[in-house]
Parts: sequence; C-alpha cells; structure tokens
Amino acid sequence: MEFMKYTFDVEKDDFVRAGEASSNIKRTLRELGIDSAIVRRIAIATYEAEMNIVIHSVGGQVELEIDPNSIKVTARDRGPGIPNIELAMQEGYSTASEKVREMGFGAGMGLPNMKKCTDRFTVESVYGEGTTITMEILLKAGD
Amino acid sequence: MDNKYFHSVILQEDRCIGCTSCLKVCPTEAIRLRDGKARIIGEKCIDCGECIRICPNHAKSAIADNYLDIIKKFKYTIAIPSLVLYGQFPSKTSIAQMLSAVKNLGFDEVYEATTGSEAITTVIANHILNKKHEKPLINSSCPAILRLIQIRFPDLLPNIIDIETPIEVTARIAKHEVSKRLGLDIKDIGVIFISPCTARVTSIRNPIGIERSYVDGVVSMKAVFGEILRNLGGSCKEQLVRSNSSSILWPIIGGQSRALGIENYLAVDGISEVIKVLEEIEMDKLDGLEFFEGVACLGGCVGGPLTIENSFISRNRIRTLAKSLPPAEYSKEYIDNSIKMYEDGLIRLTCEIEPRSIMRLDNDITKSIKKMEMIKEILKYLPGLDCGVCGAPTCKAFAEDIVRGENPRSVCLVKTMENFRNKKRN
Ligand SMILES: Nc1ncnc2c1ncn2[C@@H]1O[C@H](COP(=O)(O)OP(=O)(O)OP(=O)(O)O)[C@@H](O)[C@H]1O
Ligand code: SF4
Ligand SMILES: [Mg+2]
Repeated sequence: MEFMKYTFDVEKDDFVRAGEASSNIKRTLRELGIDSAIVRRIAIATYEAEMNIVIHSVGGQVELEIDPNSIKVTARDRGPGIPNIELAMQEGYSTASEKVREMGFGAGMGLPNMKKCTDRFTVESVYGEGTTITMEILLKAGD
Repeated sequence: MDNKYFHSVILQEDRCIGCTSCLKVCPTEAIRLRDGKARIIGEKCIDCGECIRICPNHAKSAIADNYLDIIKKFKYTIAIPSLVLYGQFPSKTSIAQMLSAVKNLGFDEVYEATTGSEAITTVIANHILNKKHEKPLINSSCPAILRLIQIRFPDLLPNIIDIETPIEVTARIAKHEVSKRLGLDIKDIGVIFISPCTARVTSIRNPIGIERSYVDGVVSMKAVFGEILRNLGGSCKEQLVRSNSSSILWPIIGGQSRALGIENYLAVDGISEVIKVLEEIEMDKLDGLEFFEGVACLGGCVGGPLTIENSFISRNRIRTLAKSLPPAEYSKEYIDNSIKMYEDGLIRLTCEIEPRSIMRLDNDITKSIKKMEMIKEILKYLPGLDCGVCGAPTCKAFAEDIVRGENPRSVCLVKTMENFRNKKRN
C-alpha cells in the first residue's frame, strides 16, 4: 500500500518558525487532494500540538504519515512531560505564563481542540521524559 | 468568447527575453519558461497582474477592448470610469471635468462607479450584516482574490459576501434606469468600463458568481488615459457628481470597511499579505473578526496594473477630492430599494462560486501519494536554490512538473554543472 512520511523539527520558544509544520502539512494534504474540511481539521489540530511543543516543551518533532485510509500526525517532545494528563485535558486548564497569554495563547483549549478535530486521539506522557500525542483522521474510501 | 481559460494577461513573445522575473512573483506559480519564453498556465492564472508590473521589458500586457468598436454596436452607450480615474489627474481637476472628458470620448452618458459602491455598502450594512453568515464576511469586490480563494482557500468560499462588484452593480442600475428613462431596450444600451484592473477585464468576460456580465466592453485605463487627458480642456457641460465623501474611497484599501462602519475589520492589500491573513482565518485564529477586506493590489485598486499614476499619489488625490463631497446619507427609500434589488437577485451573486482544486496531484489518493513520493525523491537530487533557470519558479515546482509529465525536456543546469565538475575531478 502507498505510504508516506514527513518529519518536521519544532524548537522550543521558536515563535518565528512556529506554525511552519502545520502550514507544510496543510499544503501537502491539499496537493494530495484530501477533502478540504479534513485538511482544515488536521491543520488546526497540528497547529495546536506544534504550539504546545514551542511553548510548553524543550523541543521535539511533528510527524505526518499518510496512507490511502488515514492521516496520522504524531507530535513528540523530549520533555518535561505532563504531570497530570486528565487535568491538562480539561477545557480552560493552562499553565501558560502571563507573557504567553499576552501573545494570545494559554486559553487552555489546545488539547481539547486536538481531540475534537480528530477521529483518534491519544496522549502519552512520562513526567521527566516527554510527551507523545498521536492524532488520526480516517479517510472514507474514495476521498 | 467564453473560453474556459480566457485571461486578460498575455505575453508579447518578441519582448520576452526569458529573464525569470515574473516566475518569482506569480502568487499561484502559474508561469513557466519554455523554449526561453514565459508561458502562463491558464488553469492557474488569477489575473492579478503582478507579472505585468514586474516585467522589465513590458512583455506582459492585458487584452482589452477598443471602445470605438463597441460604441458602434449600440444605440446608446454609457461609460463607467473606475473611481481610480479620479486619482490620475492633477489635483485641480474636478470630478465633473473628468466625467465630461470621458463622455466626450464619444459616449452618450457617464455613470459614476459610486452608484454601485453606495448600493453595496447600503445592502451589506443594513441587511447582510444582520443575517446569519459565516464570519468573517469576505469582500467580493476583488476578482483576483476571489480566484485565489477558489484555488487556495476553498473552505472560505462560504464567507464571501454574495453581492456583485461596484462596476457590475453600476452597470445594472445604469441600464435599468436609462432603459426606463428613454424607453430603450436593455440590449440596445452598451456599457463600457474603464478599468485599472486586469482581473476585472477577465471577470467581465468570464464572470464568477453570475451568469453574464452587464458590462459590454472593458478598456484599459492606461490605453485611454491620453485621450481623456486631451479632452480635459474641452467643452464641459455640467456633469452631475453623485459621489459622497465615503463612497468615493472604495478603491483605497480600507475604504470599504470604513464605509460600512464595522469595528472589528481587517483591510489587507497585496496578494502575499492577503494569503498570510487568509491562512490565519482558515485556521480559525482570528476570533471575533467581522469583516475581511482583501485586495490584490498595493493600496487597493489605485494600485491596479492598468493605472498611470503612482498609487500613493492617486490615493492622496482621491482623499482630497473626498473632502469636497457631502457625507454619506441614505434615505429609507434608497435603503429599501437597494435591499430589494439584492433580494430580487439583480445585484446579487446568483451562481455558486466553486472551489477549484488545481493544486491536487491526482484525483486518486493512492496515485497522489505515489506522485508525492516521486517528487520527494526528485527533490533530494535538486540543489534547492529555486533559481528558476530550469523554467520553473522553485525546485519543488520543477519536480512537480516532471511528475505531472508537463516538462519532459527541461534540465536542472546547476545539477548538470555539478555532475560535470565531479566527473572532471574523478
Ligand atoms: N507538550 C507539552 N509538554 C508539557 N506540557 C504540556 C504540553 N502540552 C500541553 N501541556 C500542558 O497542558 C496544558 C494544557 O494544554 P492546552 O494546549 O490545552 O492549553 P494551553 O497550551 O495552555 O493553551 P492554548 O492551547 O489554548 O493556547 C498546558 O498549559 C501545559 O501545562
Ligand atoms: S485590487 Fe482592484 S485593481 Fe487590483 S486586482 Fe483587485 S480589483 Fe483589480
Ligand atoms: Mg496549547
């Protein structure tokens, strides 16, 4: 089966390049001819995951995997990890600093939005090691 | 005439020296060099005119009509000069003088384009803003932006306000008024638009959102500028000026938003900036934004590719003229009548604006993925300089062209040289 994989590095505090991974992913999916509503969902979810790596982690990667049946995005960072995932998943929960809030982030809506936008969503996190978020959207046959 | 890929932007082959300037500025990567000459890929061109502006050899130009030919075809002719015209002449020239000069080209009557911008402002402010609608509302006035949205932001098509452009609205109102006043058949009345805009030339022949344009001919402002200038001194029978101090500002970026009196709006000019902001809107990042005014040309239509005067200067002149005009005031009857014209479909976009997925590699996802993989593989061997010498604007576009089978003969010169050097060394 046809299968493709792309990897994008995402650096801590790199607000200048932040959003590049999700933009690239959006463009790639559009070129593949994926339905535009799906492209939008993936792009929004990826952007949230990407920004969380920039803001909350020490750095990591976003990976895009595509096959004719599904699109999968994995956002992986090298730490510090999320101490309480259940809490982090709550709408409105955020540990973002005042400065980050001033930039318009920190509403505590990122993780809930990722979940909302995708068909499959998992967070794995080991405090002290890092976080891995996997998101998947299933493509109907013929899409 | 209704050629599917008709475009007003064309190339004068003998002038093109294959310099690659235009390849780089095209926002939709619609230009390639083939056999040393620029070629426009019709499917991708949005007629923004960027290539006309950049070409150092003036090899790109726009096709438009010859108004004298059109005048002959109708019993009664009306000229609609774009409001941009008001900024093309020295400040002392009055609007009435300019309108007379246009009429004296041989038309029976002149209509000001504010006829349209006022009706549109009235309908949006008093009707569309109160309806349920995808937000932000996006202006429908710049055809280059509409075509851009069709190609790159199909998800934002529902946000576009379904109202015609000022020129189209003016043409429709003019024909109906004149037909009533003089008892003429609509088809005996010809409307000619004096355009600063290549995208408009195209969209009048190949309209977006409507079946047929009421405009019967378009002339380039550049082409008739000299004649109008010469006429300025001629006989000036008093021309009625109907513009008000805000409707006249439509061709200046932000003019539409301000006329509407919306608080939370964004007015963005220049196609690359528009693309950036539409990306943000598409990602739901601009919460609470009510109105997005996006135009392809710097400064608004005053920066259109078929203008003579520098856009900053013409902007300033129009602002000065605006100061001498009365403020906008619309009667209840005018408002109701405008809304009725919209509801009746006279000034409304009655056809759906369809997405155009020209970016897609293949209709079949499996094949698309295969092609994308091939592109990725080819890219590994390319230098990534995006130099344009191969005839494609970027290395990626070059790889794509190969995979799409559109470019069997081109080679990457940089890579060839490198191989040659390596061979010599070994
Ligand atoms: N990759 C990560 N590494 C460490 N902590 C994280 C990571 N992602 C999220 N968190 C924690 O989970 C909280 C909630 O994340 P979420 O994305 O939902 O909201 P936010 O980033 O604070 O605000 P918003 O996404 O609305 O701008 C964050 O404030 C942060 O404490
Ligand atoms: S900004 Fe005005 S002149 Fe320029 S392309 Fe758009 S409508 Fe035409
Ligand atoms: Mg977040």
